[in-house]
Amino acid sequence: MSSDAVKKITFRVQRLDPEKDRKPHFQEFILPVKRGTTVLEGLLYIKENLDSSLAFRTSCRMGVCGSCGMLINEYPHLACHTQVEEFHSDMLTLKPLPNMDIIKDLVPRLNTLFEHHKSVKPYIIRDDKEEMEKPTAGYLQKPQELDEFLQFTYCIKCGLCIAACPTSASDKAFLGPQALGQAYRYCADSRDEGRDQRYQIVEKDHAVWNCHFAAACSEACPKGVDPALAIQLLRKGVVAKSLGVKKTSAPASLATPLPQARPKIEVPEFTVKQK
Amino acid sequence: MKNTYLQISQMITGALVAILLAIHIAAQQSYVVLGLLGIKVADPTTWVSMMERAHQGSWVGIYIALLAFGLFHALNGLRNILLETNLSASAMRILTGCLIAFGVIFLILGTYTPIALFSSYR
Repeated sequence: MSSDAVKKITFRVQRLDPEKDRKPHFQEFILPVKRGTTVLEGLLYIKENLDSSLAFRTSCRMGVCGSCGMLINEYPHLACHTQVEEFHSDMLTLKPLPNMDIIKDLVPRLNTLFEHHKSVKPYIIRDDKEEMEKPTAGYLQKPQELDEFLQFTYCIKCGLCIAACPTSASDKAFLGPQALGQAYRYCADSRDEGRDQRYQIVEKDHAVWNCHFAAACSEACPKGVDPALAIQLLRKGVVAKSLGVKKTSAPASLATPLPQARPKIEVPEFTVKQK
Repeated sequence: MKNTYLQISQMITGALVAILLAIHIAAQQSYVVLGLLGIKVADPTTWVSMMERAHQGSWVGIYIALLAFGLFHALNGLRNILLETNLSASAMRILTGCLIAFGVIFLILGTYTPIALFSSYR
């Protein structure tokens, strides 16, 4: 297709308005597309020109925010990251992400994703509470230590891995590849001292041992993260900890502030006096 | 770390079941293969051969171990499957209790015969 050639394509979109419909149904929209048109652009065209009541999430339009995850021809994709011509078809079927409740049309309820994500303590935990509350300097980390977890920091919490996961489909309480991947990301961080706390969390029922290692999560991830690998490495860590063979290394030390470093900028006084 | 220990045990018992089953199958079928090679050995499936094995401590040990490891591996595997059926925590506890009781009863029943046979011989 040349860059300006326009052709017609049909979007078969699953619709559900919980206030009106008892079960989902499909609605077809015919719209013009050209080379490079993304599925999200098609949906925006429908919203602007054909049916303003169509509901879907979108924000950055460049595969960064993770809002527009949906099933396109029965496979989870980011709508902004997927061009219509990739499918070599005159009809695309769009559905909301599975393994989650539907709020409306293509909008899934992501509460469980974020609850599970929060439950694995996805942040640096240090024993020194004083330094955690009032940091005085950064922590030293070697490039090799960063490489241990770098790819897992690219997670955008779009939920495509959960939509692709067969265990999440059958076990609603399963923590899921996203949360388990992030648990490993922080356990592997040399600045972190909360590994044991996270191991206790992921070792419970419906967590790390319930992964069937289908690796569908890694295949679906639009950012190239490999949650299946993270889960295997997490298992390795949990087993090593249980058997008492885990090598423990001192956590990253604080970087000494350079003598010529400028002093920290003072926080300005509140302009409105607090009671 | 309960689940981790269960998972490690699942892997170890799986490997042990494979080894013990291989011994069992080899003992039961080797006479066919040896017979094809012209080596005549007694048929291990006859009553006399079975009783002979029942009076040997090593075979009694192998069969009791096979039963114990097989029961643990099978019932723990079943529990792992049931865990994914969205049962409530209390229902899961009851089911786990039932599986443990089932395993213990069948272990006692299964070990009774070889132990009784072995004891009667001595």
